[in-house]
Amino acid sequence: MKKITVYCELNLKNYTMLPVSYELISKAVELSRQAFELKKEQYSVEAVALGSNLDEDSLKKALNAGANRVVLVKNKTLSAFSQTIFAQSFIEYYLKNKSEVILFPATPYGRILAPRITTILNTGLVADCTGLDFILKNDELKLAPTRPTFGSELMATILSKKFPQCATVRPNTFVANFGLNADGQYCEFEPCEYSETRVKLLRTMLEKNTTDVNFDNAKVVLAAGFGLSEGKDKKYYLRLEELAKKINAKLACTRKVADFDLLPREFQIGQTGSNVVADVYIAFGISGAIQHVSGMKNSKTIIAINTDENADIFKYSDYKITADAKKIIDEMLEILS
Amino acid sequence: MNIVVCIKQVPDVDDIKWTKENNLDRSLMLSKINPYDNWAIDYAMKIKSQFKDVKITAISMGPAQSKEVLQLALAKGADRAILLSDKAFSGSDTLITAKILSAAILKYVPDFNLILTGNIAQDGDTAQVPVSMAQLLSIPDVTNVVEIFNADKKMAIVAQKLDDEINMYEVLTPCLIAVKKECDVKIQPKIDDYIKAQNTLIELYGAIDLGVEKDKVGIIGSPTIVHKAYRPEINKNTQEIKENFSRTIIDLILKAK
Repeated sequence: MKKITVYCELNLKNYTMLPVSYELISKAVELSRQAFELKKEQYSVEAVALGSNLDEDSLKKALNAGANRVVLVKNKTLSAFSQTIFAQSFIEYYLKNKSEVILFPATPYGRILAPRITTILNTGLVADCTGLDFILKNDELKLAPTRPTFGSELMATILSKKFPQCATVRPNTFVANFGLNADGQYCEFEPCEYSETRVKLLRTMLEKNTTDVNFDNAKVVLAAGFGLSEGKDKKYYLRLEELAKKINAKLACTRKVADFDLLPREFQIGQTGSNVVADVYIAFGISGAIQHVSGMKNSKTIIAINTDENADIFKYSDYKITADAKKIIDEMLEILS
Repeated sequence: MNIVVCIKQVPDVDDIKWTKENNLDRSLMLSKINPYDNWAIDYAMKIKSQFKDVKITAISMGPAQSKEVLQLALAKGADRAILLSDKAFSGSDTLITAKILSAAILKYVPDFNLILTGNIAQDGDTAQVPVSMAQLLSIPDVTNVVEIFNADKKMAIVAQKLDDEINMYEVLTPCLIAVKKECDVKIQPKIDDYIKAQNTLIELYGAIDLGVEKDKVGIIGSPTIVHKAYRPEINKNTQEIKENFSRTIIDLILKAK
């Protein structure tokens, strides 16, 4: 049977799968349905994780998301991340268990590992896909990943002439579904113990001075655009931060705001920042450059405030407010005080 | 010590122009050096200022116009500049671009100690080429680098930033380092530097020079191919809020919670 392989990244400290794994498994299940509808071809979904152990709950979730087989590529050299060891171990497994499609998470480690693996396999790789479909081309089933390019001004659908057809997908791009019958299998594979002597990890630190910026499961996001700026004065960025704290919302910003050091880079949403799927996303003084919009447009309710009634951001918004965002921040703070 | 810096000329993504048919109008768009690659040159220059006998070779693949970014590299202080330009190269995807750059480095700077690149190019935004090059050259690499503490003939000590995690690596040369943060030393060339740079001839090589077959590169040789490109469509049913802005926003937030 033909197969879609999903590379599932593990948190190497507690052996849980990163949530993006379930998002990719769910998408792979959808693709296998599409393959059947388009060409009556059967595709199975295989979830492959590398590490020294796998959390039981994660295994259950992967099966519930619809993986037909979950494989742990396991030995003690895989207890800490090394791109060369991980790539070689995956390749050893993969060459014995080939597939038509490999999906990778576009996490920091995924983005390092995926190109290494595809280069070894001498095949292509489509980065940061926002859409994944099968299409029929010359009566052949082809994976058709779509990705934003040119600062997200352009969407490109890219086909692969070679196999496997590979793509990376950023977290929070697709939705995980857990409602399936968990009748898949679990197995382990022990690769050779590879070593890497040329690169030595001296130490790992968590960065200081950064606030905990994590947009997963964000309910309300208050996003600051360059429209709040007053030269180098950060006044309205601080006021928005205060407002975010008051209503227990997450603070976010555009690339330009981070470029001008008005808020730390970690808050940046969009093509070179984070993705967010918020329940409510409020854009304060954001013009709506598509590289920003690409990171927030899947939010359920989008409210935009801008003095320019023709601002692009309004095209993506559920609610449009033509007004000075600074005044609204002041007002909201006053109402809530 | 031999340092290779790979640089790319990119269209300014903040200044995108469209034709009536919704295609990119490159003739109207400004080009610039990919900012990350510009930082890579600065890091190379910083290393050059710390040691004797450091030689920097800047390499770029692209149309003839790309010599502009090589002139910039020379003006900043690079010793040698190589332009890889050939019609056959056009349309190369990340794997093929990495193959062409690697082939050029092996042929023209075989005794390199360090390859510096930007972590990502602003137009394609894939971050794949540096990793791919390291694999093809069978050398170790560290990407997402925000600081280079030491880089000499034998090894480099670098800090890599992945989300909020900072990893300090010691990596033996020859190796590849891809930077994603600007260097604390910023070289700003003056007109005189550009004039002086004109004394250095930019070496030009194509597919035949590199010994790569024309059907193994470019659109034909690339494993991926653009099937279609389009501007994203938006179909939102936008409601305008005309009064009581702040109240309405607060109500919408409460409704969602």
